[in-house]
Amino acid sequence: MDRKQLERWLAEEASGHDEGADAAFAHLFSAVPKVEPNPAFVEQAVSAAWRWRVRRRRLVVCAWAATILLVAVGVGMALLGAPRIATSVIKGFAFVSGRAVPWLVAYTTVAMSWWWTLGHVGSVIASALMTPGRASALVGVELVGLLAFYALQRMAGAERFGDAQV
Amino acid sequence: MAQTASDAELARDALAGSEAAYRELVTRYASPAVNFIYRFTRDRALAEDLAQEGFLRVYQRLKTYDPERKFSSWFFQVLRNITIDYLRVNRLPTSSLDELEEEGHRGAAVDRESASPEQAAGQSELAVAMSAALAKIRPEYREVVVLRYQEGLTQPEIAEILGMPSGTVKTYLHRARKELAEILSEAGWNTNV
Repeated sequence: MDRKQLERWLAEEASGHDEGADAAFAHLFSAVPKVEPNPAFVEQAVSAAWRWRVRRRRLVVCAWAATILLVAVGVGMALLGAPRIATSVIKGFAFVSGRAVPWLVAYTTVAMSWWWTLGHVGSVIASALMTPGRASALVGVELVGLLAFYALQRMAGAERFGDAQV
Repeated sequence: MAQTASDAELARDALAGSEAAYRELVTRYASPAVNFIYRFTRDRALAEDLAQEGFLRVYQRLKTYDPERKFSSWFFQVLRNITIDYLRVNRLPTSSLDELEEEGHRGAAVDRESASPEQAAGQSELAVAMSAALAKIRPEYREVVVLRYQEGLTQPEIAEILGMPSGTVKTYLHRARKELAEILSEAGWNTNV
């Protein structure tokens, strides 16, 4: 590394010539010492990659074998047990629907009847109570509440930043 | 394996199962990889270990490499991620000038026993001082300096590796050189002032 190059770079840097400083520094930096990897580095890197490759291929083969085995076992079980499974499913369905469906219909009917009654009562009360003047007053109260909430939020935010005036 | 094969061709052949192609890639990038990591770890053995890990990860992810991109940009991006991951977990001390000499920079450190000319000794000292100054600047500046001046990458390539605008790379390079100049001047290397 040449001292003259260093001085040239520092002069370029001081004068503000970016391109000149870049070129001078590049020239200077080329002399900065580099470390050399040990001679076995390449061999180690290649053998590590190839070991991984072999392991991965083995893993892929095992995964495929396991998948095929599982599918084969599943298909075999389905074929062998299909008649029994189908009979049990149909019996179960008939049992559940025979007991549950009448109850479900009865409860739904009662619930619907209550729902319609409540709806009717609600509409009668609302028509008796609500006049245009009362509706306006309600909207006004809601607006005042919203404004109060907004003001409180602003005050809380200002306090968080430490400039609250108490 | 042809000597003139591009990095992208070698990567494609390595992915297809060519050990020779992968070996050629490793041979081409072994020294840049170790030196790139060394600038951050200041530990040669550790730099080699991380570089080994980097090459393995590169091989594992060769499928994701886009041949339209420059291989070196992609490669240094992988190396950078590995180095950052390591440095996040393990905080490393910044080495001093004396440590640099002890670490085996025989080519750079001054051979005090030999009767070498004064100028040669000065040059070696300057090289070591530059290495030490490089270790002192901010890591993000060091990164762009190493990629630009050690690995010879262009500003757009560095921007791609670091995931930042090219203008920011230019600014970082400018500030890094300024910081290096200040450190070297404070150490008494600037005779212009």
